[in-house]
Amino acid sequence: MENLNKNNNIIAELRNVFHHFPQPLGQSLKVVENFNLQVKTGEVLSLLGPSGSGKSTILRILAGLIKPTEGEVLSYGQPLSEINPQASIVFQKFALFPWLTVQENIAVGFEGKNIDPVTQKEITSKVIDKIGLDGFEEAYPRELSGGMKQRVGIARALVSDTELLCLDEPFSELDLLTAIHLRDEVLNLWLAHEKNPKSIFLVTHNIEEVVYLANRIVILTPLPARIHTIIENNIPYPRDYRSGVFMEMVEKIQDIVTSVVIPEKPAVEVKAELLKVPFRVDVIPRAEVTEIIGLLEALNDNQGRLDIFDFAGEVGKDFGRIALLVKAAELLDFIDSLKHEIIFTDLGKKFVSSNINERKIILNKQLQNLGLIKIFIEMLKKRPEMKLPREVIIDELILLLPTENPDRIFRTLVSWGRYAELFGYNPKEKIIYLDKIF
Amino acid sequence: MTFLLIFVKISKMSLIKPQVKLEKTFFLADLVILIFILGSFWALIEIAKRWGAPVQPVVEISLNPWALPKYALFSLSRGFVAYFLSLIFTIIYGYVAAYNQWAEKIMIPLLDILQSIPVLAFLPGLVISLISIFPHWNIGLELACILMIFTGQVWNMTFSFYSSLKSIPQDLIDTAKVWKFGRLEKLLRLELPYASTGLIWNSMMSMAGGWFFLTVCEAFVLGNKDFRLLGIGSYMSVAIEQGNIPAMFYAILAMILLITGIDRLLWRPLVVWSQKFKFEETKSIVTSNSFMLDLFQESKIVSLIVDYLNKKMLIKIKKILSQSKVNRKRVTSLSKICRLAILILITFFVFSGVIRLFSLLSQISFVSWFSVLGRGSLTLLRTLSALFLGSLWAIPAGVVIGMNPRLSKIFQPIAQIAASFPAPMIYPLVMVAMSYFGIGLQFGAVILMMLGTQWYILFNTIAGATTIPTDLIEVGEIYHLKKIKFWRRIIFPTIFPYLVTGWITAMGGAWNASIVAEYIQFKGRMISATGLGSLITLSTAKGDFPLLAGSVLVMALIVVLLNRFIWKRLYLVARTKYALI
Repeated sequence: MENLNKNNNIIAELRNVFHHFPQPLGQSLKVVENFNLQVKTGEVLSLLGPSGSGKSTILRILAGLIKPTEGEVLSYGQPLSEINPQASIVFQKFALFPWLTVQENIAVGFEGKNIDPVTQKEITSKVIDKIGLDGFEEAYPRELSGGMKQRVGIARALVSDTELLCLDEPFSELDLLTAIHLRDEVLNLWLAHEKNPKSIFLVTHNIEEVVYLANRIVILTPLPARIHTIIENNIPYPRDYRSGVFMEMVEKIQDIVTSVVIPEKPAVEVKAELLKVPFRVDVIPRAEVTEIIGLLEALNDNQGRLDIFDFAGEVGKDFGRIALLVKAAELLDFIDSLKHEIIFTDLGKKFVSSNINERKIILNKQLQNLGLIKIFIEMLKKRPEMKLPREVIIDELILLLPTENPDRIFRTLVSWGRYAELFGYNPKEKIIYLDKIF
Repeated sequence: MTFLLIFVKISKMSLIKPQVKLEKTFFLADLVILIFILGSFWALIEIAKRWGAPVQPVVEISLNPWALPKYALFSLSRGFVAYFLSLIFTIIYGYVAAYNQWAEKIMIPLLDILQSIPVLAFLPGLVISLISIFPHWNIGLELACILMIFTGQVWNMTFSFYSSLKSIPQDLIDTAKVWKFGRLEKLLRLELPYASTGLIWNSMMSMAGGWFFLTVCEAFVLGNKDFRLLGIGSYMSVAIEQGNIPAMFYAILAMILLITGIDRLLWRPLVVWSQKFKFEETKSIVTSNSFMLDLFQESKIVSLIVDYLNKKMLIKIKKILSQSKVNRKRVTSLSKICRLAILILITFFVFSGVIRLFSLLSQISFVSWFSVLGRGSLTLLRTLSALFLGSLWAIPAGVVIGMNPRLSKIFQPIAQIAASFPAPMIYPLVMVAMSYFGIGLQFGAVILMMLGTQWYILFNTIAGATTIPTDLIEVGEIYHLKKIKFWRRIIFPTIFPYLVTGWITAMGGAWNASIVAEYIQFKGRMISATGLGSLITLSTAKGDFPLLAGSVLVMALIVVLLNRFIWKRLYLVARTKYALI
């Protein structure tokens, strides 16, 4: 791989990449689908998507840590056979060796390169200075704050002097202020870079981060990850969070993300044998009833109008998580969503102003309208004591929703069912039974 | 706290096999593996028989107290040689099992069985076979001794290393990949450091357990054949033979000093040093410190040596390895042929052993089988009684100590020594004491077995008791729970998982102990209790190989059966029902 065509300005490329992970129950989870992406020299390319959307997998495929099930990964036009020699990674959870000092951890970046110790020391000192770790050389990771640890991670990537710097949600484990500060430092490093890194590949779920740093933004669909939109970001550096152009860009991306994560019709058309007519079976999102009620009450406190992104920022949760709550609340017909704002439905208004027993009754009735639950109620009614073993439900879930995790859906079903007193579940005997139908 | 955690950790580590689920491995597989092990052991014996009748090396054991330091040195070196063998085995076996999926499927269940089999059952047979191979020197005996100690030390260390390897955080593995760590680098800079805490705890435990086998081997006498080696164990046995009380006292003292010395000078500093490898995100208050470690770290000589080792040796090794990279392709194909050849050899070896084994077993008459099984049930009864009697005092004591930190601190060093002290060394003395109460060996053997193994129950109970959540205790106090309810609802569920590990380990220890507890030296002659343990020793003495094979097989079978059908089930209950999440 020595004669790489370095005049070719495509540092790394993914061609027709598909990837799936085998699941414990034998199915496989499609994570990446039909992915085609080029990382050019001189750019900061960013993948944007909620947590668990496969973007970290894509980063690892690009870096050569994972071999994709299908498709090619290229480095300057040559297919990768092992680790991408041009790439270094900064990890979300820092990935420092607990038994090495800051200095020694950074020195890991020199591994495998024939650099004499004197030069190593020079380079390390320079980088430590640039990144603000002066004085911490002999500290151990457990003595450092999150921000300092990530600086070590960045320093390690920098000393290895690679052309492609990959950042895997580098600031998501840090508090907001530290994250903003470090983001800035990374930007400064980028703007001041001499030779390397030639490009940055950033993976994140934070929209402001992406608008601040990237000049090409790839918005992903939820699992399996595909490219939904690519946006060029030409705002000149350094960017100002408060400027008009910045906020417009953020707004634009928020709209796209909402439409991607909370699509209009989330259903699966299924021919359920029991009911003989094909109808919609919606995936029940992973959301607790208490969380949904929390969302509704926040909406109520906000005079019936709530911006989802603002709300996510306030409660400190990732947008994807809030989107799940919104989906759940919409499924239960408590709210309507317009782009990234939500408002009450009449039923929702009634729900939020009822007491706990009235709420149970409303929830009980709403649950009975959901396709998935309708099927299970029919199945339960046919049984003598209206009981079903867990395994039967799981099997049915695998049939109806083959791309979802049946255990997870079962747990959510039980949780909602118990709250609404629609179902009961005996975990010792693993039996689900019909409770009350209002 | 240190020693308590050992028992829990090794027991837990040795019994939680991360990748092997209870439902997946079939009992049949266990049986097959068992037969293969015995078969290969038998092949070894066959070789031994071909080499002629065993020659008796005679050792002069002096009771002069000034000879003790020399003997102690011998004992110590045996222990350490066995330990280093165990360490090498651990690293190789654990490494292969962790990184090779096919090997893993065989190697881990194999390890499980090897761990359950009462090792001492093989001692008589192993000794005579090794002596036959090396008739002129003591090498055969020494080898047998070291091998015995090895088999007593190695399994839990291997499990610990294996499970550490399997639980390295993916991020660190990715880091090693991204920055192109070579195999050696990865081992030295990631895998060994990560595994070091577990390895060190398990090493402590292994060494402690090793004393048991060491002293038994050193003092090994079979009928009128004397297989003793120069060491503390044999010194003690001669002292007992001659009724020399001061000598007995010196021997016990020497043993205690040896154990304490190693703990303070070796293990304690290692444990403190290994704190730096703990994978923790935040700084914890380091409570233990070691005088020896401080001394060590401040010594200039030591730092010079460490530097030299680090830089010079490592660079040399790296050079050698990188030069050999060139021939890698040729080497891999050559090594594949080698591997295949070795595999064929081993299979042939084992198969011939298995065939011989079956032919031997067929020579046992029906009546003899009956006797073997009968004796087996007797010994089973004894081990269960030992377990029961031990639990009677160990559980209440353990709970009281565990719930009271002040008591733990006082009690801990004493318990550590008491537990490491090899009980067989004082069996004859205990027997003499018991005979004054009219207790014969038939019942007395239970007490003897209990002596060595009750500590497992005690320590695990203590460990379990320390984990009783204080808020549950407070609930009990506020609601004025009666003592019995307190025990049933709060104490027992918490300590149950730990109890189970304690019982399993104690049971294994009791079976091992039965070999030496049912056949002891008493007032100048050997007496035996009717049981499987004594049958094994006696049949070796008589040279009745079919019977020996049968007895060993039955003992191993009982232990494996118990393990699979009772203990593992109990353990599953412990984990699912009583686990404190």
